[in-house]
Amino acid sequence: MEPAVQHTVVIWPLILFLVAALGLVTVMLGLSYVLGGRHDNRLGNQPYESGIKPTGSARTKFSAKFYLVAIIFVLFDLEIVFIFSWAISARDLGWVGYEAFLTFLFDLTLGFAYAWKIGALDWSPRAPRQLRLDAIESNQQRNLPSEQTS
Amino acid sequence: MSLLVFTLIFPLLGAITLSLFPRMSYGAARTIGTASVGLAAFTTALVAIFWSAAGGFPFIQTLWQWIDAGDFQVNFSLYLDGLSLTMLGVITGVGFLIHLFAAWYMVHDLEGKPGMARFFAYMNLFIVAMLLLVLGDNLLLLYLGWEGVGLCSYLLIGYYYETPANAWAAFKAFIITRIGDVFLAIGLFLLYVVFGTLNIQAILHAAPSVLAQGGTLANVAALMVLLGACGKSAQLPLQTWLADAMAGPTPVSALIHAATMVTAGVYLIARTYGLFLMAPAVHELVGIIGVVTLVIAGFAALAQTDIKRAIAYSTMSQIGYMFLALGVGAWQAAIFHLMIHAFFKSLLFLTAGSVIIACHHEQNIFKMGGLRKKLPFDYAMFVIGGAALSALPLVTAGFYSKDAIIWEAVANGHGFLWAFALFGALITSIYTFRLIFVVFHGEAKTEAHAGQGLAHHLPLAVLAVLSTFIGAMIALPLDDVLPHDMAEASHWVELFFEILAALVALAGVAIAAVLFLGSRKTVDTVVESHQGQRAWQLFHGGLGFDTLYDRVFVRPFRATARAHEKRDWIETIVNIVPALTRGANTGLAAGQSGRVRAYAMIMFAGAAVLLALLMFG
Amino acid sequence: MNDTWFQILGALPPLLVALSVIGLFVTLCIARHERLVYAMTVGGLNLALVATIALIPLGPVAVTPLYIVDFYTLFFWGVILVATLACAAFAMPYLSGFNDRREEFYILLATSALGAMSLVAARHFGSLFVGLEALSIPLYGMVAYTFRTRASLEAGFKYMILSGVASAFLLFGMALLYGATGSLAFTNLIPAGGYDADAGPWMLMGIGMMLVALTFKLSLVPFHVWTPDVYEGAPAPVATFLATVSKTAVFALLLRLFVSAPITDNAWLLTLVGVLALASMLIGNLLALRQDNLKRLLGYSSIAHLGYLLTTLVAGASLSIEAVAVYLATYVGTSLGAFGVVSLVSSPFAGKDAAHIDHFRGLYYKRPVLAVSMAIMMLSLAGIPLTMGFIGKFYILSVTMASGLWWLTGGVIVGSGIALFYYLRVMAILFMDRPAHAREPQLSGTGDNWAQTVVWLLAAATILMGIYPAPLIDLAAVAGITLGS
Repeated sequence: MEPAVQHTVVIWPLILFLVAALGLVTVMLGLSYVLGGRHDNRLGNQPYESGIKPTGSARTKFSAKFYLVAIIFVLFDLEIVFIFSWAISARDLGWVGYEAFLTFLFDLTLGFAYAWKIGALDWSPRAPRQLRLDAIESNQQRNLPSEQTS
Repeated sequence: MSLLVFTLIFPLLGAITLSLFPRMSYGAARTIGTASVGLAAFTTALVAIFWSAAGGFPFIQTLWQWIDAGDFQVNFSLYLDGLSLTMLGVITGVGFLIHLFAAWYMVHDLEGKPGMARFFAYMNLFIVAMLLLVLGDNLLLLYLGWEGVGLCSYLLIGYYYETPANAWAAFKAFIITRIGDVFLAIGLFLLYVVFGTLNIQAILHAAPSVLAQGGTLANVAALMVLLGACGKSAQLPLQTWLADAMAGPTPVSALIHAATMVTAGVYLIARTYGLFLMAPAVHELVGIIGVVTLVIAGFAALAQTDIKRAIAYSTMSQIGYMFLALGVGAWQAAIFHLMIHAFFKSLLFLTAGSVIIACHHEQNIFKMGGLRKKLPFDYAMFVIGGAALSALPLVTAGFYSKDAIIWEAVANGHGFLWAFALFGALITSIYTFRLIFVVFHGEAKTEAHAGQGLAHHLPLAVLAVLSTFIGAMIALPLDDVLPHDMAEASHWVELFFEILAALVALAGVAIAAVLFLGSRKTVDTVVESHQGQRAWQLFHGGLGFDTLYDRVFVRPFRATARAHEKRDWIETIVNIVPALTRGANTGLAAGQSGRVRAYAMIMFAGAAVLLALLMFG
Repeated sequence: MNDTWFQILGALPPLLVALSVIGLFVTLCIARHERLVYAMTVGGLNLALVATIALIPLGPVAVTPLYIVDFYTLFFWGVILVATLACAAFAMPYLSGFNDRREEFYILLATSALGAMSLVAARHFGSLFVGLEALSIPLYGMVAYTFRTRASLEAGFKYMILSGVASAFLLFGMALLYGATGSLAFTNLIPAGGYDADAGPWMLMGIGMMLVALTFKLSLVPFHVWTPDVYEGAPAPVATFLATVSKTAVFALLLRLFVSAPITDNAWLLTLVGVLALASMLIGNLLALRQDNLKRLLGYSSIAHLGYLLTTLVAGASLSIEAVAVYLATYVGTSLGAFGVVSLVSSPFAGKDAAHIDHFRGLYYKRPVLAVSMAIMMLSLAGIPLTMGFIGKFYILSVTMASGLWWLTGGVIVGSGIALFYYLRVMAILFMDRPAHAREPQLSGTGDNWAQTVVWLLAAATILMGIYPAPLIDLAAVAGITLGS
């Protein structure tokens, strides 16, 4: 092995790539700036909506539930990647690998059960069941004395 | 024997408990504070019994390895031999009696006030530090105790810190003893460099082979240790703090500034006597310092009006005797006098405290007078203590300890020192009986209410018994530790010199009686004359050492400082450091903007610089 | 006993923690009971601690190619478990006023501790990355746990974003190293030219990028900027965890990486690490100088302490590993105590944490034992003799001096000098008169007494180790020998 040769880093392709990438962007933006026509009137500044007048703000509020469900979907979806990679080498890993994978799936299911239990999967903006029960309970407690007096 | 460590543990537990519960009642604080030292004293007694039963060999209790870094190894070990046992007995025994008395004394000051557990916490902590000082088997542990007692002394002198004068007295004591401590620290470094160890016994063992007799190294090392001892024991030239230290509560003066801490210097020199044997010139100097201090302090004691300051000067003078003994090679006599002095001086201080309380915090002796009738118990105690201090022959303990020193001085061929010591003895009995006559005789000038209770009577009575010849019968197990006192002269010569010393002491009493018993006309005329006035001022101020230091050190320093007040380049230089620090702080803190994007930028920039340096550096 | 069982035995402590995490999930799926959850967490951690101690006579066990359980691992497992237990004890009273789900905190805590344990035992990039992420991801949640206070949420986001950046650096670095050496195990990271050859540029780049990521976790300059904000915003028990467990685990890993990977044996790399150390101790202390918020102050001070620690990496002296073990143990003990007091005085539902220094003014007259404990911790952090902080600092100084790294020695001394100012300032404030408007320290809630006991024990240990450090030093010495050999 000749270490001296191995360690020489060839830098010029990197620099060429850098120059080319920057150059491409500059040329594209620059050309359109120079050549493109500019209109500065009210209609021209409106986004094109297929002839329909745009209404309202683009920044509508989504329910936070959406993100929560989305992230849970991404999580469990990604775990499938592990199943694939295990499946490919399942025979090589043998029973130990199988046991390990069962453990993994158990944990995964447990996480799913937990997410379900705490109401993370409830789509509607209703309060989770436990909190609802709590609320009912506290309402009852609050009402109890008044019922007795009446 | 392994009980030894408990002498430390009990007071330590006391101190910790007292500081953790600052709001406990006075009764509880008093009980804990006193009982912890009492238990330590009891343990000491047990240790002494077991130790002597086992044959009285040096005993080392290694608790753990304190520091182990390469070649530098220090064990946390306690070393028990005759010398440390003697000190142990004095510290815990006398310490316990003083704590007991303090429980009575401090009631008047502390009951019901906030933070009064603080007093006993400091006192207990002091006992711990002092025990560490005498029990440490290496110089580092000794130094730890040394600084510990210095700290407690500072805290207790300034105990009534609301009065600025007391805080200043505490500062003064701390700073001046600190000068000595610095020298001691230098001495320790030097010894470590030379011997490669801090273990005291190893150093003593190796000293004759490593050091050249009278060589520079030996002299410098011994001188450094001596200066350290001078600071702690209030000897010339670092003696000025002790009289001011009387600002503390009286039990503190008795415990720290009479019985224990101020004698630490004597202990240190005795402990490292091998070093002084190798440095004859410095050894000689020890005796000279002692004798000069004892005479100067004696004169100063003659002209005090404050009862506590008078006793404080007498303490300096008595420690001077101990230094003299060390200087003439009468090692055992020095330690013996140390113990006897602890007995009678704490007796005097505690009695003085009792008198002060009785007279409603009056400390001026000329405003007392005629207290003999009203305070017969205090009178008896003070006379016993005073007699021991003056070394009245045969019946007092002081006679056996102090006259031994005077005799050793002449027997070892230091005639000059002997003459001064004898003169000092004369002055001692004059100022002692001046105090007695002025305070207890003559016409009554004030109301007085005698102290009551066991906590008041018992400590005084025990100390009084120990101040008589009974105390002198205690035989100290020092023969294996310190060289025998060398005096080898015929019995008759010794007897002659002892009779001489006894006569001198009695003569002092007689002179005091002539001068101060009765109308005191002679004294008044002398003092009122111009010369007398100046002499009085001189003596009253401790022979002008404060003034001298003020002129030599403080004023030039202040003058230099004032000269630069406007445009002080030194201070400018010094101020650069905080200014730089503050500027750097402001600049850096500005970077903490709280914005994530700024943080990310800093991170990326840092990473870029780091990686670039790594690749291309 | 066959090999598999032997390996499982070696990995018993983290497995016990993992089992308790799974158990917690099962419990939460069935019923919510805070006491039960707490008991399960603490029980699992304690069992793991017992197992760690029981494993000491076992000797090094290689658990798959990913992990090695040697005495070094066990030492830091012990430190991590003790620190996590203390955090749990502080969290209990802290969360008692939190009117939302409290139980999940313990799951996050245990998971994070599991990650830390994995990190300490890692000897392979795979286990390194898994460990680091398992340590960090629960931490994001913990930092933002009291998300209704703005500061907590903000701190959580800051930490997550910047941490993600650091993880990217880590992965890139590992990829470069894999590309250059074809291996992911620490010991196989050999320069292409053999053990004594210089590492090539790709390897340097790789190790440099890993260094960026790990020093970010250790909050060393210039990757320290997140520290004060996150410490201030995080709930006090979480800041405790960040300052102790997270730092210990990452540093232990960094040390193992530097000791076992041959490519780190590069003078220039070590010099740059030294520069980072110097910058950290100076800048950390300077930033803390005039800080009035105790949590920020402790954050800055942790930057400086990690800077001191990093010097040992540069020194490479025979004493280095022992020094790291001693220093980390003392630092963890002291930080736990200091943050513990802050945590006990704070509660998240009376506004922000009571971390401003004014809240501590005159604490001595209200809570003397707590204040004395805090004072002891400050002394120990400052490295005053008779506290265990002194022992640690003593080790650092002797290591740097033995290696002749005088510029770093000077840095440690200057840094400690600056640090004295702010530590003693905090201490003085504890004993000052209490202003009339000061907020009463609130100390109510379940588990409070136990948390206080923990603080007292830590204070006692600080003093005890300061005067009797021999057992700790012996343990650290064995840990040093196992890793060094």
